Amino acid sequence: MPSASHKYLTLFVAEASEHLATLQSELVRLEQEPPAAPLWDSIFRRMHSVKGSAATLGFSRIVDIAHAAENLIARLKGKEGKIERAEVDLLFAATDALVKEIVKLDKKEEDEKTITLVERLAKAAQALPDPALTARPPPPPPVMPVADPSLPRLDVAVTLSKNCAAPGARALIVQRKLKAMGTLLEMEPTPAQLMQQKGGARVVALLATLTATDEVREALVALPEVDHVEVRMAPAARPVGGTSPLPPPIVSPQHPTPRGVTPPPVRGVTPPPVRGLTPPPVDADELRPEPTVRVRAEALDQLLDQAADVMHGIARLRDAAKRLPEGAAGVFEAEVDRLRRTARELHGRVMSARLTPFSSLTERLPRAVRDLAHRLDKTIELDVQGADVELDRTVIEALGDPLSHLVRNAADHGLEDPRTREKAGKPPRGKLTLSARRERDKVIVEVRDDGRGMDAQALRRKAVKSAAMTQEEADALSDDAAYELAFLPGVSTRDDATEVSGRGVGLDAVQRKVESLGGKVSIRSSPGQGTTFVLELPLSVSMANLLLVQVGGELFGVPLHRVLLTTEYDLSARGGEGFESRSLVVMGELVRAYGLAKLFGLPSLSPPGPRPFVVLEVDGLRFALSVDRLVGQEESVLKPLFPPLDRVRGLAGITVLGNGRPLLVLDPRGLAELCGIHEPGKPAPLAKGAA
Amino acid sequence: MPKRVLIVDDALFMRNTLRDIFSSAGFTVAGEADDGVQAVNLFRELKPDLVTMDIVMPYKSGIDATREIVQLDPNAVVVMCSALGQESLVMEAIEAGATDFIVKPFRGEDVLAVVKKVLGE
Repeated sequence: MPSASHKYLTLFVAEASEHLATLQSELVRLEQEPPAAPLWDSIFRRMHSVKGSAATLGFSRIVDIAHAAENLIARLKGKEGKIERAEVDLLFAATDALVKEIVKLDKKEEDEKTITLVERLAKAAQALPDPALTARPPPPPPVMPVADPSLPRLDVAVTLSKNCAAPGARALIVQRKLKAMGTLLEMEPTPAQLMQQKGGARVVALLATLTATDEVREALVALPEVDHVEVRMAPAARPVGGTSPLPPPIVSPQHPTPRGVTPPPVRGVTPPPVRGLTPPPVDADELRPEPTVRVRAEALDQLLDQAADVMHGIARLRDAAKRLPEGAAGVFEAEVDRLRRTARELHGRVMSARLTPFSSLTERLPRAVRDLAHRLDKTIELDVQGADVELDRTVIEALGDPLSHLVRNAADHGLEDPRTREKAGKPPRGKLTLSARRERDKVIVEVRDDGRGMDAQALRRKAVKSAAMTQEEADALSDDAAYELAFLPGVSTRDDATEVSGRGVGLDAVQRKVESLGGKVSIRSSPGQGTTFVLELPLSVSMANLLLVQVGGELFGVPLHRVLLTTEYDLSARGGEGFESRSLVVMGELVRAYGLAKLFGLPSLSPPGPRPFVVLEVDGLRFALSVDRLVGQEESVLKPLFPPLDRVRGLAGITVLGNGRPLLVLDPRGLAELCGIHEPGKPAPLAKGAA
Repeated sequence: MPKRVLIVDDALFMRNTLRDIFSSAGFTVAGEADDGVQAVNLFRELKPDLVTMDIVMPYKSGIDATREIVQLDPNAVVVMCSALGQESLVMEAIEAGATDFIVKPFRGEDVLAVVKKVLGE
C-alpha cells in the first residue's frame, strides 16, 4: 500500500460514501421507472469509481465486492426486459456491504459474509449475457498483409513483463509500434488472444521493413513492460501467410539463396527466358508474338493493393506536410506531388495489367443459349462482337450474373417463337447479339435481340398497378422513358412467370450491380424490331473522387460524380430541426432535403441554424442531404465492403484516408431508396432514423 | 524545464494521489479535469506534455476524450488509467490513439516508469 495514499484516506471515505449514498437512491429509481441508459451509466460509474480508488489504497474486500457488483451492473444494463427484484436486492446488499466496509476500514475482520456476497453477485452476473461479448460488432476479417518481396524480413520476439496487468493491451501497443516501422506480416499471439491473461507472454512477429535490426530492437525496448526483445533477419524467400510464393525468376545455373541474405529485387527488364537457345537474330523479332508471361490473378491483385497502399502513404505524407513550417512545406509538397503522379501512373499500369478480355465472359454463352433455345422451342443465333475488348477484372467478375440474366431475358421474353416471327415477316431464327466496344474511358456492352420489342403501354399499366406511380404520371412518360420502368422492382411485361427467367424481376438487380460498378444501364426498344440493353461501364473501378462530409462526428465520402452542387440553407427557420424531409430551392427547382444523420440514426452535432447541404443527382432525380460539415475532397481507392457492412443500404464501399482512418463511402442510389424517393412504389425501407 | 501534466479522473481521491506522485517526481501538474469534456477543453488550453486519462467518467468517456485530443494534436501523449478488468476498453483507447496505459492499483514507481518511457526519458 503506497504511503502517499493514506494521506487521502478521509477523502476516499468521503467520496466513496457520497457515491454509495447516491447509488442507493439510483437503485430505488431503477425499480420505479423503466431504467434508461444514463441511469445505468451513472450507477456503473459510481461503483467503478469506488473500486478504482479502493484498489489504489489496497482495500481488497471493497475491490472484490465493487468489482463483482460492477460486472452484474454491466450485464443488467444490457439485459432485455424487466430487471428482477432479486437482482436489485443484490445490488442493495452490495452497496450496504460497501458502506459497512468503508465505515470500519481500519478494523481487521474475517468476513465470510463478503465472500458469500461476492459469490452471489458473480452467480447473478453469470446468468446474464456478457455485454462485452454480445454488444460489440465482430471485428473485420483479418486482411492478409502483403509486402514488397524485396524488403528484408525480420523475426521479432518480444517478452512482456510478468507484472503486465493487461497483456492484450500491451501487445496492441507492440503491434502498433511494429506497424509504424514496416509491414507486419505475422504476429502471434494476437492482442485479442492475449486478452484476460496474466503477464509474462512472449510475442513473435514477422516484419518486412528497411529499418535496421538495432533500430527495431531499440524502439521496442523503449516500450513500458517490455522485458526482452530479440530481432533477427528472417531466413529469406519464406512463403508468407500460406500463399505460395511467386515463381522465382529463372536464373541458370540456380544457386540456393544463402540464409539470412535477401534476394536482390527482381528487375523489370529481364528478357523473357529462352531456354537452351541462343537469342535469335533481331530481325526475327517481328515474327514472334509480343513476349508475355502468365501471372496468377491473385498476384496482380496483391500488386494492385500495394500500389494502392503506396498512394495511401503519399496521401498521409501530404497530410503531414500541412504541419510543416511554411518555408519547408512548399518544397516537400512539390516532391510529394511528383511522387503522387508516379504512384498514380503505377496504379494505372497495374490496373491495365489486370484487364481481362470480354471473351472470358462470353466463352460459355453459345452452349448456354443453345440449351435455352431448346427448352423454349425457339431457334436462336448468337453473335458475339468485340470479344477481345478488355475490361477490368473486377468488372468482368461482377458482370457475369447481370449478363447471363439479360441473355436469358432476351431469349425468353424478347425473341418470339418461330411461327410468330414468320407471321410478322421475320426470319424464323431469332438473333441475339452481344457486343463490347471501347469508348474513351468507358466500355459499352450491349445485349440486343431482334424480337418483339417492349410494350410501353403494358409497362405503364404495370407501374400504375404496382403503385409505383399514378396514371397521370405514367401517361406523361414518353415511350423511351416508359421502357426504363422495367427496372422498377415488381414491374414486368409478362403476367406469367416462366421457368427460364421468372417474371422479369431481377432487372432491378442488374441495374443495381451495374451502378455499383459506377456504370449505367439503359434500354432502347422499338415495337416489332427488338430491344437493346446498353451497359456503360468504367474501364477501371477502383479510383473514386470523393467529397468528404461530416455527420454526427463521423466522416463519410460522397462520390463526386453524383454531386450536383453544395449549398447552405437554414431549415430551422421554418419549423425546427427535426425535419424529415423538406424542400429547398436549387437552381430554380424545388428539391427534397433529408438529414443524413437521421437516415443513419446518428446524432447531428451541428447547432441549429444554417447548415451545409449536398445536392445529389441519381437518374435525373435530384435530392439534398443535410450534413454537419463539408470537410474536403479526396481521390481514393475504393474497396468493397465486408460483411456485415455490405448489407447496409446507402453504403457503396470503404476506403482509407490519408491519416489512416477508414472512410465509409455513400451510395447515392441506395440513399435515394432510403429516402423513399427512388422506388416510390415500395414502402419506406427500414432505416433507424427514417421512422 | 519540468514536464507539464494534465490529470483527468472523476475521483478527487485519484487526482490527489496522482498529483502527489507527479509532484514528488519533479513534474508540474498543469491542470486537473474531472470529466471528458473538461479534459478536452483543458488540453486545448494548457497544451500539456502528458495527459493521464481515466476511462469511465461522466459526460464524455476517457476514450472519446482521447480520440478528440489526438485529433487536436496527433503527437499528444495520453496515458490511460484503467482498473483491472477493463482490458477491452484499454484496447479501444489504444485504437483511439492513446499512447500507453497503466492499470489500477498502481504504485507511484509503476506510474513513473511508464510515463518516463513514453516521454522518451
